Amino acid sequence: MTTNTAGTPGRFDTSTSRVVVAGVALAVCIVLLMFVISTSMMQEVMGYSQRIEARVPTFFVRMAALVAAIVAAFYMITGLSWYKRNKVAIAPWLFLAIGLAFFMVYVIVPIFQSVSYSFTKWNGLYDIDGVWTGTWVGLHNYKVLLDDPNFYTSLWNNLLWLVLFMLAVPVGLFIALFLNQTVTGIRIYKSLFFFPFVISQVVVGLIFAWAYNPEFGLLSEIWSWFFCETKPNFMGNMTRVCSVDPPSILGDEVYATYGVIAAGLWPQVAYCMILYLTGLNNVSTELIEAARLDGAKGWKMLWHVVLPQLKPATFIAIIVTVIGALRSFDMVATMTRGGPFGSTNVLAYYMYDQAVGEGVGRYGYGSAIATVLFVIMLVYISYFLWRMYQDEVEAR
Amino acid sequence: MINKFTRMAMAATIGGMLSTAALASDLVITFDDLNPDKKAAYDAAVEAFKAANPDINVTANNGDREAHKDTIRNALQNDAPDVITWYPGNRMAPFVDPGLFMDISDLWASDPNLSANFNAIKPTMSRNGKQWGVPYSYYQWGVYYRKDIYDKLSLSEPKTWDELLGNCDALKEAGVTPFTIGTKYLWTAAGVFDYLNLRTNGYDVHNDLTAGKIKYTDPRIRATFAKWEEMLDRCSFVKTHATMSWQEAISPFANGDAAMYVMGNFSVGQYKDAGLTDEQIDFFQFPEITPGLARAEEAPADAFFIPAKAKNVENAKKFLAFVATPEVQAEWNKTIGQLPPNSAAAINTDDKFIVEGMETLSTAAGLAQFYDRDAPAAMAKAGMEGFQKFMLDPSTLDEVLESLDKVQAEVY
Repeated sequence: MTTNTAGTPGRFDTSTSRVVVAGVALAVCIVLLMFVISTSMMQEVMGYSQRIEARVPTFFVRMAALVAAIVAAFYMITGLSWYKRNKVAIAPWLFLAIGLAFFMVYVIVPIFQSVSYSFTKWNGLYDIDGVWTGTWVGLHNYKVLLDDPNFYTSLWNNLLWLVLFMLAVPVGLFIALFLNQTVTGIRIYKSLFFFPFVISQVVVGLIFAWAYNPEFGLLSEIWSWFFCETKPNFMGNMTRVCSVDPPSILGDEVYATYGVIAAGLWPQVAYCMILYLTGLNNVSTELIEAARLDGAKGWKMLWHVVLPQLKPATFIAIIVTVIGALRSFDMVATMTRGGPFGSTNVLAYYMYDQAVGEGVGRYGYGSAIATVLFVIMLVYISYFLWRMYQDEVEAR
Repeated sequence: MINKFTRMAMAATIGGMLSTAALASDLVITFDDLNPDKKAAYDAAVEAFKAANPDINVTANNGDREAHKDTIRNALQNDAPDVITWYPGNRMAPFVDPGLFMDISDLWASDPNLSANFNAIKPTMSRNGKQWGVPYSYYQWGVYYRKDIYDKLSLSEPKTWDELLGNCDALKEAGVTPFTIGTKYLWTAAGVFDYLNLRTNGYDVHNDLTAGKIKYTDPRIRATFAKWEEMLDRCSFVKTHATMSWQEAISPFANGDAAMYVMGNFSVGQYKDAGLTDEQIDFFQFPEITPGLARAEEAPADAFFIPAKAKNVENAKKFLAFVATPEVQAEWNKTIGQLPPNSAAAINTDDKFIVEGMETLSTAAGLAQFYDRDAPAAMAKAGMEGFQKFMLDPSTLDEVLESLDKVQAEVY
């Protein structure tokens, strides 16, 4: 298949010199890496190592050697004959290689680790010799989980989040429809509505926690216009006396979760709104005109003409909202820390709380909760991936 | 060629290392309190140590107390400092048992100051007959109250449970909520529980409960909860306690809406920041419940430990011995308004709370660390959630106690 008769290299031949040079460089890098690692170990054994001063240079040497090794490996592979012949098939994988490696190390492997920890009782510590301190307990953690009222509370709250968070989609749509007009300064209004999505979830959580505060919050201020008066107390200081106490939303196990979800909805509505606003830009004006000529207006227009054209936006809005509901961790952490007495826990926060939080250190149990959450998410993600795949097949 | 090059590089690295090692030795300290007075006391002690040891290159870190509870695990196992703060008692067990803290019994034995002046607290610092840390401070718990409110109603400090309930009736009559508390972060409720339990059942039951030897459904613990229910009923707490931190709970106290606070002595500075004066506030020991029971008190200590992976052990021991000296202990605790564990250290006699605290603790029959330090963290978390639930709705008592028994069976 090649015409390599006079010693001139053909398209698909191995570039020998290149492979040799890159191969030597790769070997050097590997030797250097092993050498540096083993010497730095030696130094620690010999007691030379001075904390940071010692680590910084070897760290840089190691990193430089690692990067050089990767570059050399690429250079070598691209010089090989089989690579040249199968370029189209292999090239994407080469580009993906580093990303895949990180995905393996930081996502795939931990999933398996975490599932395996869920069969153990472990406080998260290794002893001084680096030996794992846990014990294998089989399905014990799952049995305890089935008997744990906090687990069912978390599961129920997760469901509440999923259902109520969906409100963000229609509300976002109506705000988008409302803002989709040409008035002077509409950009300012749009950015104001989008504002909650820009600020951090933690800040949103704090703002709402303050607003809910029964002592000095916005809600209790409004409440006191109707039910409270300010009177001097026993010591002559002014104090508020209410005929009906202001609601302690985050302090009451019945309302607390709804309070947290409402706070989470605020930025989520803004997100859905912006998705619909961009979607509305692409709605065909001709179709609207045609529908109008045919006498469609109001709800009919919205339902039969506008919404079908917004289908991609709706799809994405639902996806991000479901994901948002499932990872509701930060709102719970900042607003209630799962309290009062665990009534606002969701699975993600309960897992954190049992394993990592405040040194509780039930890593095995936390991993069991994580595994349950993972299985729930897996069902949803599989459906999502299947939908995506179907769409792509149709598009072909 | 390559070999020669790397060997040269290696020689240069090792050479560099040797020279830094020869010039000065290091000491890395990790502290965990950013509150202004605590930070000032720590910084002052570090400066004094630097002045006394100019050849030691000290790196003093400080971080948030709650975050430290999470980060210490990583710090002990990977990039360990030379000195780190943690809690003594059972709370140090998870790090002592796998060998992550260094045994410093030799320091306790060889340092005359440590071996002579720390007898009262030595058992707290010991596990398996060895000592693991050096305490720098501890403090009393008890009831802080508004003396001006008490005076106005002609009430006196209650010595017994009935006197306390009587005071509560009078306070409620006058429209004052007897107790303030903020249970958002849970542990404040454990203080109330501990005192009710110590006064109802005594020190041994407290220790047996936190050691997992007594069930929560035990009749003795139920008796404690019965007293608590009585307290909730006749002595009521501020209504919105579940949404407040302990600092936020000071505002009704400062405003005169509430008259008493079961708290630790670290809170006094905050009362004064809220505008109260020494004349307006005072302290009494939690009153007797079961007559004739030996009086035990809560006295949580804070301590320094040496991680087993510390690089500069000699310097770390030098720092621990320095922190233990009477002068440093006196100065440190004067700044933060707490008590020095060193019995030879002077206390601040201008501070009536310190004087009263010293008396309270030196006459106590036993010193408890605190529910969340004596019990393992996993038990403490569940237990304190249970206490909060009970406080919000006492009718859930059976449910709470049964679920705590389940956790207990799981944790120990």
